[in-house]
Amino acid sequence: MLLALDTSTDWASVALFDGRDVLAEETWHAQRRQGDELFPAIERALLMTRTALSSVDRVAVAVGPGSFTGLRVAIAAGQGIARGNGAALVGISTLDVLAYPHAPSKQRTCPLLRAGRDQFYAAFYQERNRKWMRRSPFLVASLDEICRQIGTHTLFVGEIDAEMEAALRDLLGPKALFASPASRVRRAGYLAELGWRELETRTQVKISEIEPLYVRQPSIRGSFEQPFASPPSDERALGLPKRS
Amino acid sequence: MRILAIETSCDETGVAIVEDGRRIRSNIVASQLVHQDTGGIVPEVAAREHLRSLDVLTEKALRDAGRQLAEIDAVAATVGPGLIGCLLVGANYARGLALAAGLPFVGVNHLEGHVYANWLYETEDIPPEPEIPAIVLVVSGAHSDLVLMEAHRRFRPLGRTIDDAAGEAFDKVARLLHLGFPGGPVIERVAKDGNPNAFPLPRALPADRFDFSFSGLKTAVLRLVRELEKKGDVPVADVAASFQKAITEMLAEKTARAAAEHAVETVLLGGGVAANLVLREAIARRIGHPLRVPRPGLCTDNGAMIGAAAFYVLRHRGTEIPVAARSDLKLA
Ligand SMILES: [Zn+2]
Repeated sequence: MLLALDTSTDWASVALFDGRDVLAEETWHAQRRQGDELFPAIERALLMTRTALSSVDRVAVAVGPGSFTGLRVAIAAGQGIARGNGAALVGISTLDVLAYPHAPSKQRTCPLLRAGRDQFYAAFYQERNRKWMRRSPFLVASLDEICRQIGTHTLFVGEIDAEMEAALRDLLGPKALFASPASRVRRAGYLAELGWRELETRTQVKISEIEPLYVRQPSIRGSFEQPFASPPSDERALGLPKRS
Repeated sequence: MRILAIETSCDETGVAIVEDGRRIRSNIVASQLVHQDTGGIVPEVAAREHLRSLDVLTEKALRDAGRQLAEIDAVAATVGPGLIGCLLVGANYARGLALAAGLPFVGVNHLEGHVYANWLYETEDIPPEPEIPAIVLVVSGAHSDLVLMEAHRRFRPLGRTIDDAAGEAFDKVARLLHLGFPGGPVIERVAKDGNPNAFPLPRALPADRFDFSFSGLKTAVLRLVRELEKKGDVPVADVAASFQKAITEMLAEKTARAAAEHAVETVLLGGGVAANLVLREAIARRIGHPLRVPRPGLCTDNGAMIGAAAFYVLRHRGTEIPVAARSDLKLA
């Protein structure tokens, strides 16, 4: 059984997944109350499915980019659960979770989240050779700068308010496509799927190594018109020293 | 009862295992030296460090105590007051740990932790508990609180600082004298070679009888140092000693008055500044009660004090146990 926890932004989400089906999911607008509301939501999910936390042997947490304080709520909780019952813990990028449900659309997909002031977190995803992948580093940039990297039709998902939508339409005209409101919400069911898959293939890292992606510095360099080289490692994308 | 306790309210990550609120089995504190470069605490940096070290320290605390998680009876964590981003890390980790291990979670008020540090020992022969009611002075970089402890879990705040915390005043004067961070220990050391009567400094007495104010003193030290700089040479030891004398007398004065006006058995100290020997002597001189102070390592923030407080929270139920993290949590 896998428990998925996401407190990356004002929106929070919790899900239980048994490897085949999502058994319970709750997604809510927590604003700054993720710290108070996460555990009651976990307990509700366990109660609804009559699951004991002792039978949860996998935990997936969203690691951003997103609000640093918000991200640490779910990550700290996930670390504690992993220590408490020996569950395997995995971190999945919040933008990967947002883009993932749109893979069947075959559209170039760009999840967007506010990064404070006029900055946004973004990345580009596309299917190529039947493989859905992130094709860019994680970006922190203004909408202007992000749109300068866009040449083709792009599907925007994530937390897009009316003002952002208008700005994107201004900048890109008909090339800007928007996912429907329900399908652009970030849901822990998808995080659970990605986390499950990741744990099938990846060996467990140390609990303390699961931490937020602290994306800060603007990392747009060069053009994304030929973005189809294999994506850089997160360390390189974020300008971090490679972990040994 | 064996409690695993976590403290992350400020810039020290602490994890401890405490038995029956009194006996420390392990107590690990990771101080975040990175803040020495900035001369203060950067909340975002502190929260990152907590998350990086918390699980490693928890594993080590269990190992040092020679215990498995299965031998623990409850998990406790500080839920306030403190830096909210830091509190959230410790509190959520602890809640996850407790829920997954099937243990009760106890949210602890950090100030209660400083009080109950006076109950803690590392050796087999544990002295009797401090007698209550007691007057408690909690002084650190974040707090300057004068509290009446009427009974276990019954606290009545008498006074607090209306501007800086006492430890902050130490830090700011240390910076002014180019002595580094944190200011408390370094000022105490330098002041040993100085004349505490070299410079008379003002002692502010706020209208509220048990409140403190240190900003006037801080400004006076600033003015003094600027004047001395103009003349050429700053006698650092004399300035440090004069400042230390003034601030410890302000704290001692009000603590002694609170003890005299309330029928208490004991005076207890807590918080990083309580490690200051000049302060202890100044208070001991003025009171007719026994004075108890935790050993210096237990005055500063640590997990063991949270474990001690958590034990008394569980033993003296009645008041609700806080669960949610609150930066401005008050004493019950
Ligand atoms: Zn403290």
